[in-house]
Amino acid sequence: MEGLSLLYSGFINSFTTVNLVACFIGALIGTVVGVLPGLGPTATMVLMLPFTLPYGPTTGLIMMTGVWYGAMYGGSTTSVLVNIPGEAASVVTCIDGYQMCKNGRAGAALALVAIGSFVAGTIGLLGLQFFAPLLGNAALSFGPPEFLSFMILAFVLLSNLSAEAPLKGALMIALGLFLATVGINPMDSYPRFTFGFEKLMLGIDFLPVAVGLFGISEVLSIAVEKYVKPVVSKVRLRDLYPNRDEIRRSVNPMLRGSILGFFMGLLPGPCTVISTFVAYALEKRISRTPERFGHGAVEGVVGPESANNSAVMGSMIPLLTLGIPFAAPSAIMLAGLRMHNVEPGPMLFVTHPDVFWTFIAAMYLGNLMLLILNLPLVGAFAKIAVIRPQVLLPVISLICLVGVYSVRNALFDVWVMIGAGVVGYFLRQWKYPIAPFIIGLVLGPTTENSLRQTLLMFKGDVSLIVGRPLSITLLALATAFLAYKFLGPRFGTKLAVNVDEGKSL
Amino acid sequence: MHKAPGFRLETGFVFVLLVLGSAISVISWGYGFGSLAQPGPGLYPFFVGAAISVFSLFILIAVLMSGTGKSLPAREGARTLALMTLTFCFWILAMPLLGYVVVSMLATYAFCKVMKLEGWRKPLAVSAGTALFIYLLFDYWLYVDLPRGILG
Repeated sequence: MEGLSLLYSGFINSFTTVNLVACFIGALIGTVVGVLPGLGPTATMVLMLPFTLPYGPTTGLIMMTGVWYGAMYGGSTTSVLVNIPGEAASVVTCIDGYQMCKNGRAGAALALVAIGSFVAGTIGLLGLQFFAPLLGNAALSFGPPEFLSFMILAFVLLSNLSAEAPLKGALMIALGLFLATVGINPMDSYPRFTFGFEKLMLGIDFLPVAVGLFGISEVLSIAVEKYVKPVVSKVRLRDLYPNRDEIRRSVNPMLRGSILGFFMGLLPGPCTVISTFVAYALEKRISRTPERFGHGAVEGVVGPESANNSAVMGSMIPLLTLGIPFAAPSAIMLAGLRMHNVEPGPMLFVTHPDVFWTFIAAMYLGNLMLLILNLPLVGAFAKIAVIRPQVLLPVISLICLVGVYSVRNALFDVWVMIGAGVVGYFLRQWKYPIAPFIIGLVLGPTTENSLRQTLLMFKGDVSLIVGRPLSITLLALATAFLAYKFLGPRFGTKLAVNVDEGKSL
Repeated sequence: MHKAPGFRLETGFVFVLLVLGSAISVISWGYGFGSLAQPGPGLYPFFVGAAISVFSLFILIAVLMSGTGKSLPAREGARTLALMTLTFCFWILAMPLLGYVVVSMLATYAFCKVMKLEGWRKPLAVSAGTALFIYLLFDYWLYVDLPRGILG
């Protein structure tokens, strides 16, 4: 009952003009970004961080999630109409979505995807609303060893799931952790890696690095690529009605995808992308007519698209309850909340319950907004896909430049952004995943604090961790995963999620 | 991406990371390692540096053995990359002198031309529109105090 009254007050708080506008703008921009092949949700969320600063943390969180969520909705539009995924989580949708388009069922596919995304979003929100406070309360009893073990497990899974070569993922995490040590160490006020530069004393600001790695590097990558103008199929409003058989075949994949996606969202790595691959494989495996897959099976469109939407909500759980982001967009959200002096984690439900419940309420509204936006405007959104990068990229570049400068009025930050952008361009080309770097950068201070506190607690005797059941379980899981990863193929099993990270990370 | 016959940029990059990781560990040791019971400021970055060195070393060996290290993008791509980067640098250097409106307009025009937007009317329209958008968004709406330069 307490949850319901808190949710009610969340709805009251979310019905402010600023929160509703933030939700609408986030959802709209997210949908547009999802439609546009090129710019991903993470880059957009980073670009929007400076604009959330004048408003409160809740408004910022609502806007950011709106973008992420909206991109999941919008990403399917170009997959179905153009056979080009708007973002990586919609790659799978191309397989059957475009076939449906060729069979003259594009409108039905888009309508079912929008409804599926709405259902999945709602189920994901219900899960978040139910599980997050429970886990938050449980996490109150966690000490530094538990947090350290959680982070070790997250790093192990992240490096393995987000890169073709796990070593590249691990290297990127370590580089992120290193960059976080630059500046005065808050624990003992000792300046590290500053080399006498006054500007480095406060550390390297997160925003320029993130905008450079996600925004500028993406701009450079697209600018260097050859542009091929897409051909977009037209969709009229009257085409949006799915027939009875399509509806019947969509209901179960919608529900399965929603539940599967939510739990996949709890995994470190590109959860939204992985959830779509797993949902597609699941639907094909349990289908009585698997031969239809690849030829326009509606289950192959609705299942994955529902999964990626609820994965967004699932991945909010570790962020909000533990303060540990498992994916790049949640790392951006963590950075955004920290800019507002709100530290997500177990204490969030004690110190800022209003942030959580207003966010939940606003996302219910955002989900509805996205459904209303996406159904009638699908034709208009599809037209956005043909905007030439020669027009779009200069505008994005300028927003990056002025946006980063405006936060601290420091040209140094803009230099850092350009440096990170050029490095990020080469990292993308050489298939070094950027998401683990950003997560390492964001989690660096927490990791160091947890390590030092654990060592002080145990007086240097790390074997005492055996006396902490949760810690030892988490470390055992990390070890088991590594053992399975390295020994599994020798015994004929293979644990590999080959995901083209693309720009969604 | 084409493979250069000899030295490959990725190989050099990983080698730099290997050196960087080792340097981080050495410098961290100088900050004071302390002990496991009383960690000093250098303990954590020491291990992070060591991890960077180890991972880089393995990747370097893999890249050298497989010969799959990547080099620069093809000539046309490398030119675009260099010109885009130079335009970014121009914006940073010229912004305090010329002001954000003028520089934003010039930089947008340059970006359009680097990306081969035909003619002069379209690039001019895009650059004027972008400068106006930046003014409205940052100056008018968000009240950000940006250098106005010659427009004072």
